[in-house]
Amino acid sequence: MKTIIQLTVNGEPVEAAVEPNQTLLQFLRDDLELTGTKHGCGLGDCGACTVIVDGMPVNSCLVLAVQAAGREVLTIEGLAENGKLHPIQQAFVDKGAIQCGFCSPGMILSAKALLAANPKPTEHEIRTAISGNLCRCTGYQKIVEAVQEAVKTIEGMEVS
Amino acid sequence: MTEFQVLNTRAPRLDAPAKATGRAKYADDLSMPGMLYAAILQSPLPHAKILHIDTSKALKLPGVKAMITAKEAGLVKYGVSPARYDETLFAHDKVRYVGDEIAALAAVDQATAQEALSLIKVDYEELPAVFDMFEAMKEGAPQIHNEFPGNLTAEVHQEFGDTDAALAECDLVVDHTFLNKRQDAAFIEPHSCLAVFDLDGKLTLHSSTQVPHYVMRTVAMVLQIPVGNVRVVKPYVGGGFGPKCEATPLEMSCALLARLTGKPVKMTYSREQVFLHSRARHQFYAEMSLGVKKDGTMVALKNKAVLDGGAYTSFGIATVYYSGSLLGGPYKLQAMKYDGYRVYTNKPACGAQRGHGGVAHRAAFEQLLDMTAEKLGIDPVEMRLKNIMTTGDMTVNQLDMSSLGMKECVEAVRDNSDWKNKKGKLPKGKGIGMACGFFVSGAGYPIYRSDTYHSTVVIKVSEDGGIANVLTGSAEIGQGSDTAMAMIAAETLGIPLDNVRVVSGDTDLSVDLGAYSSRQTLMTGHATKEAAEHVRAQIAAYLAEAMGCDPASISFRNGTVRFNGGPGDFEKIRTQYIKEHRGWTDPPSGEYLTFREAARLAYLKGGTLVGTGKYKPPRLGGDYKGAAVGTSPAYGCSAQVVEVTVDLETGQVTVDDMTDAHDCGLAINRTSVEGQMQGSLSMGLGECLFEEVKFDSHGRVVNASLGEYRIATALDMPNVKSIIVESNEPNGPYGAKEVGEGAIMPTIPAILNAIYDATGVRITELPCTSERLYMAMRAQKDKK
Amino acid sequence: MLLPKFDYHEPSTLEEALHLLSEFGGNAKVLAGGTDLLVKMKLKIDKPAHIISIARVPGMDAIIPRDGHAVTVGAAATAADLSRHELIKERFTPLALASGKLGAPMIRNRATIGGNLVNGRPAADLPPACMVLNATVKLKSNTAEREVPVSEFFRGPGDTLIEPNELMVSINVETPPPWSGGHYIKLGARKTLEISMVNVATMITLQSPDGPILDARIALGAVAPTPVRAFAAEELLIGQQPSEELFRRAGEVGVGMCSPITDHRGTMEYRCMMIEVLTRKSLEASLEQARSWKP
Repeated sequence: MKTIIQLTVNGEPVEAAVEPNQTLLQFLRDDLELTGTKHGCGLGDCGACTVIVDGMPVNSCLVLAVQAAGREVLTIEGLAENGKLHPIQQAFVDKGAIQCGFCSPGMILSAKALLAANPKPTEHEIRTAISGNLCRCTGYQKIVEAVQEAVKTIEGMEVS
Repeated sequence: MTEFQVLNTRAPRLDAPAKATGRAKYADDLSMPGMLYAAILQSPLPHAKILHIDTSKALKLPGVKAMITAKEAGLVKYGVSPARYDETLFAHDKVRYVGDEIAALAAVDQATAQEALSLIKVDYEELPAVFDMFEAMKEGAPQIHNEFPGNLTAEVHQEFGDTDAALAECDLVVDHTFLNKRQDAAFIEPHSCLAVFDLDGKLTLHSSTQVPHYVMRTVAMVLQIPVGNVRVVKPYVGGGFGPKCEATPLEMSCALLARLTGKPVKMTYSREQVFLHSRARHQFYAEMSLGVKKDGTMVALKNKAVLDGGAYTSFGIATVYYSGSLLGGPYKLQAMKYDGYRVYTNKPACGAQRGHGGVAHRAAFEQLLDMTAEKLGIDPVEMRLKNIMTTGDMTVNQLDMSSLGMKECVEAVRDNSDWKNKKGKLPKGKGIGMACGFFVSGAGYPIYRSDTYHSTVVIKVSEDGGIANVLTGSAEIGQGSDTAMAMIAAETLGIPLDNVRVVSGDTDLSVDLGAYSSRQTLMTGHATKEAAEHVRAQIAAYLAEAMGCDPASISFRNGTVRFNGGPGDFEKIRTQYIKEHRGWTDPPSGEYLTFREAARLAYLKGGTLVGTGKYKPPRLGGDYKGAAVGTSPAYGCSAQVVEVTVDLETGQVTVDDMTDAHDCGLAINRTSVEGQMQGSLSMGLGECLFEEVKFDSHGRVVNASLGEYRIATALDMPNVKSIIVESNEPNGPYGAKEVGEGAIMPTIPAILNAIYDATGVRITELPCTSERLYMAMRAQKDKK
Repeated sequence: MLLPKFDYHEPSTLEEALHLLSEFGGNAKVLAGGTDLLVKMKLKIDKPAHIISIARVPGMDAIIPRDGHAVTVGAAATAADLSRHELIKERFTPLALASGKLGAPMIRNRATIGGNLVNGRPAADLPPACMVLNATVKLKSNTAEREVPVSEFFRGPGDTLIEPNELMVSINVETPPPWSGGHYIKLGARKTLEISMVNVATMITLQSPDGPILDARIALGAVAPTPVRAFAAEELLIGQQPSEELFRRAGEVGVGMCSPITDHRGTMEYRCMMIEVLTRKSLEASLEQARSWKP
């Protein structure tokens, strides 16, 4: 039997009827048509489904939609503002951190959560933050470099 | 290389913003009104006769719209190579592996489709199964395909020179055996497709594929649809690496179900199904003997390969040739003998995966080289430098090294890794190792026998605005081909990259064989360059007419036009353009005529401005059987140095540092080339240390998940020092050749050689898990 | 991968939750982080008719210090919270380390200590840490309440003492005495996202920084049907001056307490050898921490 849930997605209030056995991933992709969050494995092994819930990155394939009721969910579609890329997104573009792009939404959101909690991470801290996001294309190096670049950009923005 | 306007830069990829924002649509992101969801019934048994299939209960389930088995699908045989069409869409008489497809259905939602699958009743008569390639070759083993006795898909015997005689003359002959395991490509996006039949009987198949062209042909052939009515469109693809290089039962089922139901039909494989489908790296057994002179000169190589290919051929017939042919270089040999066997077993079929048949045998060979060098007291780097080929050399099996920056690559990694100060000087538990490799820049021949062009490209210039639209059937799967083609077009047309658009991966646009064998930079690149030259020539001709000058005096640069190097008197052209755009606030200005104005003039004079380009390699290779496989218009090559730390108490290996030099002829986009190098190394590292598809005694994949099939994470990969070497390939557009697969060749052996340096133990079976290394170190200690 | 259908309940008080458990008992599963339960359901290993989420039950994720002599950890405290908590890191180190090694960041943000204990997987990260800390778990039903030492909580793979009508509400740990130090080591293939081949938690209490061992606790995971305390190895250490040789012998004895299996992650032989090596390494790390204990 469906339940009505209310939550915030990318800053906007959302109200919807969901089945209990619907995951947050399915809800975002199928019901809200936010297809930026990807399904790579369904078991929490790859991180392609990463979204930020109440500030924390989680595998949305292992969260029920009903569990997101009353919470703030940020997906990749919610990062760019008014058509302008978020510094992390821009850094990923500039540094060549994106090849096939399938892991990118999850990677970018894990990076976003990291920088929100730790604005000046070491390389090891960056790698640990994205250790649950698998990438088969890049070998991670340019992703790490992009996060390091974003750190500098965000720092520069705050100063000015 | 500074004479380029666009090439050889770090231009950001065209598709990066869409991917960074979640706008990029991959196959599973697509949705259409009335769409149905399909599911495939797969065999739970490794080898069994199908006695009866009862779909009646499943069909009665509310929400099920159509069901197909071999009865509806027919029995047209297909595969990858026409010489080995050994599969049908659905199993009809028997199933040959756990996962073999038996039926498919379409339903209103995924849950109904899954439930319906469980209602299909199949009666089997189980047959004895065989899972080991050596057992499969023995007398009395269960026969998997009647047409291939002894379970031999393919057998290769090649000899160049008199190998036995050459070996007899050698001062030293070293033997070696090596075994890898089946691997999986583990792209993060599972296979997915959406099939739509319109009311005129035309099929559009949106599919996550590397090869729209081959998929189109196979679907048309198997489903008996006129080929002109089949269109394959590739959306964004989340990685391919080889297994997405052939038409899949997923695609063909969806197409058939779409026709039957009159509705769009979508299917996406679960991660488990991706493992069951496989078409990924074979298991290879290598047995080699290398003969050398005591000064280290390589003389002769005897090489044997036995491949476990699973239940169907897929790419296997090419794979077994590559295990031999790709050892013809990059070192000089006087004689080489190769015997290869590709064997059927009751397991998922293996196909092509990054580096194809070259990877395992290259690993074995580079280890053997190190062993030989050690016996002779020669440094591994010196051993390579002594023997490597150079530009212009021909391998013993007639592969032409039209450019080969092998020496530059070796020296670059030697110097940038500080090899001389580290080799032999590191404490126990730390090691440094190196290896080399090379690979084709596109297979010399298409998969089906044909005179077809390997790539054709159309460039249409907008009637206003000076935008060049590159239309190509080539496949951007993440490697960066769209951006590369845009850069080539921009460079050739003399316009900024910003003025080029690429539409790709659609069989309606042009023929392109697709993203495999590292071909697109060279082959699609050539066709793109030619199409751009064609456009440029047409514009120049119209300009020459309007300006009363010689077309040869016209050049294009950075969006502007020069006449004999100068601005020329183009007043009339500009005036007419501005007149046509009365009221606009951005009239063309500046000292030089703009490309925008020149292209508009060409349109006004001649109508639609279209350029076409095409490429097909010249006839390549020797006259011996199988000569085709290994031929290529060019070869990329690679050298790597790796440093490791081994925990001597547990056997755990940490890769601390990797230095990689790759000769790509000319880097069209430097960032993309580095990205492909780094990605190759991470796949090589995973294959060396963790990756293995495991089976139980019933032929079931035991670790069909990304949790238990372990690819490298961000904490497993070190930073890579990536060095681009540019040897300027004469057969490549602007000198460019491959990087996508050549870069993985040295990785496994470089790591294994480093582990040997750290521990004194040679691991000759992959993966080099902590247990395998630990046990080997203990065994060695016990021996002493 | 699809989840089967179920009835979903989201009680907002502990009483409500316990009442639901008593009603649906054997047909219900408690949902905390979901990183184990939802995976099992997708793999068709579990198919509960009812799911009772404890997300809205207040206070279940709290980590409450008790005047310096103990800490009460709510069963819904996440691995991420535990790995970052200053008190847990300093005084209950094996638990902080084990939490930090569980899965990967996103998993840690959801996985709970209660879930990790109740799932009863032999290779789970938190049980050995809880065992060397002599933790007790509080189990509540709507009629009763009991406290069970973690060391007695596990019966077999996936089998624990918890009854179908019970909920684990908290884990209580007494602060180790002065000159105590603890550690946790996990052996896996990759550096993250791993399920252990072998994991070892240890705790050492010294009489004084240079003095003999007053108390030692060793717990091993993934090498028996349940996580086990290596009592015989512990006895070897008590009263002795710490040394590498002593720790090595303790490791040897520890092997005897285990019955590892050969599975696709590793063989029995290798696991036995690693028990020896990792026990010694873990004890050495615990010793170092014990010696640098500060009030």
